[in-house]
Amino acid sequence: MGDEPRGMTAPERTLCVWCPDWPVVTTRRARPELGAVPVVTVLRVDGRVLVTAASAEARADGVVPGLRRREAEARCPGLVVAEADPAADARAFEAVARATEAITPRIVLERPGLLTFPTRGPSRYFGGDGALAEQVLAAVRAVGVPDARVGVADGRFAARCAARTASPDVGRVVEPGATPAFLAPWPVAALGGPDADLADLLVRLGLPTLGAFAALPASAVLARFGTAGVRAHRLAAGFDEHATPPAPPPPDLVEVAELDPPATRVDEAAFVAKGLADRLLARLAALGLSCVLVSVAAETEHGEHLVRGWRHEGTLTATALAARVRWQLEGWLTGQADVAEEAFVTGGLVMIRLSPEQVVPADGRQLGFWGGDAAARDRADRALARLQGLLGHDAVVTAVASGGRTPADRVRWVPWGDAREEPAEPPAAWPGAVPGPAPGRVYAPAVPAELLDPDGRPVAVSSRGEAAGPPTRLLCAVLPGGGGAVRAWAGPWVHDVRWWDRRGRRRRALWHVVVGAGDADDEVACLVGIEGGHASVEAVYD
Amino acid sequence: MPAPPPALLPRRDDAARAALADVARRARPVSGAHDRLVDVPGPLGDLIPGRGLRRGSVVAVDGAPGAGATSVVLALAAAITAVGEWAAAVDLDGTLGALAAAEAGVALDRFAVVRPPGGGSLAPDRWATTVAALLDGVSLVVAEVPRSVRAADARRLVARAREREVILVPFSRGGTWPAEAALRVRATGGAWPGLDAGSGALADRTVRVEVEGRGVAARTRTGGWAQTRVGGWATSRAG
Repeated sequence: MGDEPRGMTAPERTLCVWCPDWPVVTTRRARPELGAVPVVTVLRVDGRVLVTAASAEARADGVVPGLRRREAEARCPGLVVAEADPAADARAFEAVARATEAITPRIVLERPGLLTFPTRGPSRYFGGDGALAEQVLAAVRAVGVPDARVGVADGRFAARCAARTASPDVGRVVEPGATPAFLAPWPVAALGGPDADLADLLVRLGLPTLGAFAALPASAVLARFGTAGVRAHRLAAGFDEHATPPAPPPPDLVEVAELDPPATRVDEAAFVAKGLADRLLARLAALGLSCVLVSVAAETEHGEHLVRGWRHEGTLTATALAARVRWQLEGWLTGQADVAEEAFVTGGLVMIRLSPEQVVPADGRQLGFWGGDAAARDRADRALARLQGLLGHDAVVTAVASGGRTPADRVRWVPWGDAREEPAEPPAAWPGAVPGPAPGRVYAPAVPAELLDPDGRPVAVSSRGEAAGPPTRLLCAVLPGGGGAVRAWAGPWVHDVRWWDRRGRRRRALWHVVVGAGDADDEVACLVGIEGGHASVEAVYD
Repeated sequence: MPAPPPALLPRRDDAARAALADVARRARPVSGAHDRLVDVPGPLGDLIPGRGLRRGSVVAVDGAPGAGATSVVLALAAAITAVGEWAAAVDLDGTLGALAAAEAGVALDRFAVVRPPGGGSLAPDRWATTVAALLDGVSLVVAEVPRSVRAADARRLVARAREREVILVPFSRGGTWPAEAALRVRATGGAWPGLDAGSGALADRTVRVEVEGRGVAARTRTGGWAQTRVGGWATSRAG
């Protein structure tokens, strides 16, 4: 290999536990009927629905993570698509983390489904890396996770690669010092994640393997590919990704919150933790540091003490950190009924502490030139976050337009601080959408009403979408004066919603009804739905 | 300085020109010391003295359900988000239609809605705290007023809005705002001429409003407008 990168700290000997396609495992646990069918989990990223994990049956048909949903369905007929739920994945993975924790206290979660820990102590205790790997496999199987792979190598990246080549029955151990040789034949695509573009470029430059890439001089890599390239180069050569060994952070960076009364609900605790995360990252940023490994600690009112480390490839942002802390608190506070285990904690949390375990110099990021008024945004953010503390996380929302037919369906309310995930372009009108302007007041659930025909009977709509008679009176509590005579109407439009699903199927007829209000020629327009013979006001045009 | 030579941009690229004009409009200082008015476009602006809302003032909006009061408050919120600032609404029963807000021109990513948990109402002191917190954060607050509002709370909020230079829009259903307001806008009703018995479509509407307050000729002004098509304010102002 070429001249050696700076910061020649030998990478720490690391053991990696990898549960392949963990999101699929948790999905199948929740829906056992999906046991032998091809399953993928999908997540909406920048308006595109991408596959995040695929079961072995789906992989056999060429479905791989990163495909668009449509393409995955085309490659594998009969594919079952499930929505990815990172929080549920993290919750379920807590059982694996706990089982591993019985062997060593220093575990670090990288993402749900993947954890690592340094082997130095436990390996000597159990008599070698191979024996340790056996112990870990047995412990993980004991909590009901049959398919776990264990790899041991120098450094976390190599350990991850080793785990990928391990068989389900026995761990793969790369001897100390043999890591560069072990990594050399791997394709550069193994760098993955944030380096996917780089890997693609390297292949086109004629460097298909990690060994070929590692053989380049580090200075040339820096000149051509920048800092991201150097990081990937270090990984490929079997070193740690950060040149300077991560320093222990200054001790006063720890953020602690005491909770009184103790928090027993996840959202209470997570809300406090979000504030901690924001403060911690702000203080790190002021020092020019960013955080790659954070430990989340909590104490219950009965004196139980819980600690867990979370690592992030790249550096943690406030949202990413808050999400991880929330997952962790969910894992602790929610009973693990699905793995037949009692809840981990016996009381509410009285203390939450976030401490950065490893920090690296922040590379900085360039803010957009036309990024809007950042000061106004900050001001709004502070006020709205304060209100969330007062009224609850879900009480402060912003709206995102989404597809649908009725006014209530066409809006998704997103709690303040969560990702809005706006579609790249406004959703196109659905066929059968309610025509006309959008109503100013939308009632969800709809308010019960009576729509009567000239004989005073409720207006019925046949299965062919024909009304038995014209509506003449509409009575509803939300209308001024309790409703009145119908002056004009349009409809009915019949919606047969989810007709393919026997249980979720709904049939409803919608009417636009204009009711006279008062004695002048004032009118109130509303949207009336009839479902199962019962009318209700869905919206008022205010 | 005369207008810049138009030849600098490709002549056909109207979209680029519009984007540039938009950026220029947003990048200019929105509130100099001398102009504390926020333009209200459209027919509602015609009814308001100076065609604008003064920062730090109170505009009380009132109207029975279906009379058009929600359209009025959304038009005011749209005026503030159009200059790149933030608006918020306290929506006690959780029924505000976000799609109508978008059609009125509100930028939804800068329009926070507070919906009290459980679909219930807020205790009077909670309500006042909520509105006060919003006054600290955004440039315009639409506050649905509960029936049990206390006059002392209302006066305190008016003072806070003036101090923070935030426009407060108390919104009520047939009640009155028990404190000072620079303008009182009451939606009194309207008609939907496009729809008939079983024919036509719900597309056009007329809205009638009464504006009362300082600077309004003869203390009250009655006007209205017709809304045609989706989202457009247009035509006929009857003053």
